[in-house]
Amino acid sequence: MLSKKNKEALFNPLSKDNPVLVQILGICSTLAVTVKLEPAIVMGISVIAVLAFSNVIISLIRNTIPSTIRIIVQLVVVAALVIIVQQFLVAFNYEVSKQLSVFIGLIITNCILMGRLEAFALTNKPWPSFLDGIGNGLGYTIILVVVAFFRELLGSGTVLGFKVIPQWCYDHGYEDNGLMILPPMALITVACIVWFHRARNTELQETN
Amino acid sequence: MNKNSNTYQILYAAVMVVLVGAMLAFIYMALKPRQEQNIANDKRNQILSAIHQATANESEIPATYQKFVVKDLCVDAKGAVVDSAAGCAFNVDMKKNMKLPEAERKLPVLVCDVEGQTKYVIPVYGAGLWGPIWGYVAVNDDGNTIFGAYFSHESETPGLGARIADADFQDQFKDKVLYKEGAFKNVTVVKKGQTPNDGSDYVDAISGATITSRGVGAMMQQCMAAYDPFFKSIQSRTE
Amino acid sequence: MEELNLFVKSIFIDNMIFAYFLGMCSFIAVSKNVSTAFGLGLAVTFMLVVTMPINFLLDRYVLQPGALTWISEDLKDVDLSFLGLIMFIAVIASGTQLVEMAVEKFSPSLYASLGIFLPLIAVNCAILGGALFMQQKDFPSAMTATVYGLGSGIGWLLAIVGIAAIREKIAYSNIPAPLRGVGITFIITGLMGIAFMSFLGIKLG
Repeated sequence: MLSKKNKEALFNPLSKDNPVLVQILGICSTLAVTVKLEPAIVMGISVIAVLAFSNVIISLIRNTIPSTIRIIVQLVVVAALVIIVQQFLVAFNYEVSKQLSVFIGLIITNCILMGRLEAFALTNKPWPSFLDGIGNGLGYTIILVVVAFFRELLGSGTVLGFKVIPQWCYDHGYEDNGLMILPPMALITVACIVWFHRARNTELQETN
Repeated sequence: MNKNSNTYQILYAAVMVVLVGAMLAFIYMALKPRQEQNIANDKRNQILSAIHQATANESEIPATYQKFVVKDLCVDAKGAVVDSAAGCAFNVDMKKNMKLPEAERKLPVLVCDVEGQTKYVIPVYGAGLWGPIWGYVAVNDDGNTIFGAYFSHESETPGLGARIADADFQDQFKDKVLYKEGAFKNVTVVKKGQTPNDGSDYVDAISGATITSRGVGAMMQQCMAAYDPFFKSIQSRTE
Repeated sequence: MEELNLFVKSIFIDNMIFAYFLGMCSFIAVSKNVSTAFGLGLAVTFMLVVTMPINFLLDRYVLQPGALTWISEDLKDVDLSFLGLIMFIAVIASGTQLVEMAVEKFSPSLYASLGIFLPLIAVNCAILGGALFMQQKDFPSAMTATVYGLGSGIGWLLAIVGIAAIREKIAYSNIPAPLRGVGITFIITGLMGIAFMSFLGIKLG
């Protein structure tokens, strides 16, 4: 079930080979959905689902794909899965689909999908590909959640919509940091996470 | 068979397109009734929000809507009723409607009955900072005072422009008047602490979201001004 | 005149990177030196210019509700808009494949340095984003859409060349080791983004 190689496929992306911090994939959506914690979590779950299934599908048909049109094939599979997710959300959970409207479409252009399909699913069997999809999806979700946590806490004074900064802080002159809500601060928050992460994993540091 | 031959590639692409297309079309057809129902219910609930009757329970929406919204009207630019068939106002697609030249636009009105009082709900549609914004404004039967307003948006900045969808912004509109000394003045959205120079009623903009807030004001002006003859006819009726 | 206005606006005010933060992955990863960045920027601009009118025509004559009436009046109830995403991405992906083949043939050195990021142009959010904005903004003609594509592409090119130039110089600075490379690039992009925010909402003409 979980040989050493499979374990690596599942757990490496959580930290050492994290898609956002190390492979630099999926930045666009990291910026767009991390203002509040809730959409970040739903987005994370959707990406895990789409990534795992598209990895499996591509891995199943990997030997039949002509290499010259492989990108189109991959994108069609991904886009079809995303449209299915979108259609099901509209039909069965309209509230969530309203919150995520634009972000669901963004999953297609999430570089993590193409990156993993190219780098892993095209050359591996379905089961490891599935684990790789779950692992990378989780690694991505962790970063989303951490960034969204800090942005929501500092930017709106809430966590998952609940006020956590007590009223007396506001009474004594504390104000929410409006800058945290703007997209540039997501980049700077990610940079802080990169800093922390690489300070602990010295082998990842770049020499430039 | 050679995977890089042209025939193989073309066949492969064709089969894939047909399969994926068929599957998507099937899913779309299968889910469409549910989706349309959801969308219609959501629109009904937005209208109910404008008259403070929104319900959180989805299954109750059609019944609540039936109870409060008594009639659909479409009026023309002179204030005359041109259509009063059931659903004629509800089914107006505001996005398409606003693109028509002003003379051809339909002016939908939803007539509501809230505890014996008649309210007129007017749909509004305009542009925010990033994308479209829309809403519903309920006017009292004096054709002047606002009873309630509901706004929503597609993609405004969360925490800033997106706050036009929050109750504390919308509640400001209650009891504001559209007319000053018999002339249509709209409700202006101005920066907190300022007052508009044309003497109209005003509400505070959301700080940090000037463009979205201004968009709300412009949207009200653009959509509601056309109803001027209609409001006037209501006003003369009640006087 | 209208077009010129849109052109300037899409380069500076609605800049794909600094205002919408689209196309960040390749922006961060392929900005180590100016010449590669310039090549990728050109490729993205080219893709935007080519795919924008095609997607516009697709949207206008195939996808929108009632768009098929030019074939026959009976088709006026057909609504294919649910296929929008997949059609746009298919156009973009096939275009990318063509560009990839062309670059490989005519400029092997550029091909070698762009590496994995050539196929990734297909998923460059800026290009799909451009198609979606085009749909949302409801341009009157294919010409306007092309101008918008060109402007957005040049805006993207300027941004990536700018950051690449900064990164080349930063090689001489003493940055804390864990921040070197990606970390400092994130921070610089964030700062540039804040600077560009001052353009937001400016209306020309």
